[in-house]
Amino acid sequence: MNIKTTYSEQELVALLQERNEKAFGYLYDNYSGAVFGIINSIVTDKDIANDVLQNVFVNIWKKIESYDASKGRLFTWMLNIARNASIDEIRSKGFRQSQQNQSLNDNVDFPGASIGPVTEDVGLKKVLANLKSEWRVLVDMSYFQGFTHEEISKILNIPLGTVKTRIRSALSQLRTMIQP
Amino acid sequence: MNIEEYISSGIVESYVLGLASQEERSEFENMCNQYPIVLEARNAFEIALENQAMQNAITPSADVKSKIFNTISSSAKVVSIVEAPVKKINWFKYAAAASVILLAGSLYFNFSLTEKNKKLSGDYTNSLTELNTIKKDIQVLTNKSEIKMASLKGTDVSPQSYTTVYWDSTSHDVYLLINNLPKPPSEKQYQLWAFLDGKPIDIGFISNDYFIKQNSLLVKAKSVQKVQAFAISLEKIGREDVSVPAGEVYVYGGL
Repeated sequence: MNIKTTYSEQELVALLQERNEKAFGYLYDNYSGAVFGIINSIVTDKDIANDVLQNVFVNIWKKIESYDASKGRLFTWMLNIARNASIDEIRSKGFRQSQQNQSLNDNVDFPGASIGPVTEDVGLKKVLANLKSEWRVLVDMSYFQGFTHEEISKILNIPLGTVKTRIRSALSQLRTMIQP
Repeated sequence: MNIEEYISSGIVESYVLGLASQEERSEFENMCNQYPIVLEARNAFEIALENQAMQNAITPSADVKSKIFNTISSSAKVVSIVEAPVKKINWFKYAAAASVILLAGSLYFNFSLTEKNKKLSGDYTNSLTELNTIKKDIQVLTNKSEIKMASLKGTDVSPQSYTTVYWDSTSHDVYLLINNLPKPPSEKQYQLWAFLDGKPIDIGFISNDYFIKQNSLLVKAKSVQKVQAFAISLEKIGREDVSVPAGEVYVYGGL
């Protein structure tokens, strides 16, 4: 149906910065699934994840001027907006309460919960499953739960330097693992 | 640390995934500018991440897209509302200027209307007065059976002249209808005479205004008890003895 089915990333960014709603529709149609996948790896509640997706795309529309192509690809920028929004959501009081009401057991000892085998993992989390467990928990806490290195150091009672080194090592492995 | 080691240290992933500290980010951006191989590594990981995310896409609820577009459309409206006051100021300026012009125009219009009304009102009063006079005159001429009429015909001095006198035998009032009399020179005026037993009786002057304005049908003269004939003479204004005619007689007629 679309007259023009693809835009180069440059064209797309230029159109979005001109507030072109058609280009924004194209962006949504092509990337909402991938962005929603990332959101789902952090926010497990589907309804809340849909709300987060909505906010993420509204923010993409509002903040498109601040996108700087020299610092990364458009998708990377969108992905980081989605991750930050998702972490903000799971850290919000409302979300924590709703999670406690639903499944008290799953989240009581949250670091351990991430260590255990999780069959539903998809995407980046699935990739994470191939990491050594001591690395995986660090990446999970860092990337999917948004803990700072200092927080992880305290929670897991591991020296800060070790946390940093392990996360770096885990991430360097991640690169080789997700590359096709 | 050499570049290879730097690239494989995990900084690329850390930066792309948004896990690097501000310090690390600045350093990495500098490295990207200096070493194309670092930028290449970053780009490669970004593409790998994007592909991986695309392969693991999850379809969101169908209503999310319309919700997003409703939100961005309404935020566009908010923007236009925010812009509105700026335009409003201009609008007010023009509106104010326009209303001053309208007010001035209206005041002038009102003023000229008032003037017109005054003039019309005056004209109306005058017309009404004239009409009432004529009505009265017509009553005099038509309604009273005791009215006697005398036709005064032009003398040799002015053969074209012709006037009519109505005498009320009961009230003794005298009315003059000037059918045709030449306009007198400014230093002269007509005088009306009643004749009884051959002797003239002064029954008044005809104001020269009559010939200028010509706004009455009848001229009222002084009352006379008994009368046999009437005459009109043209006399100099301000002569000493007005009880006897001194000038030429223009019209004469018996009752």
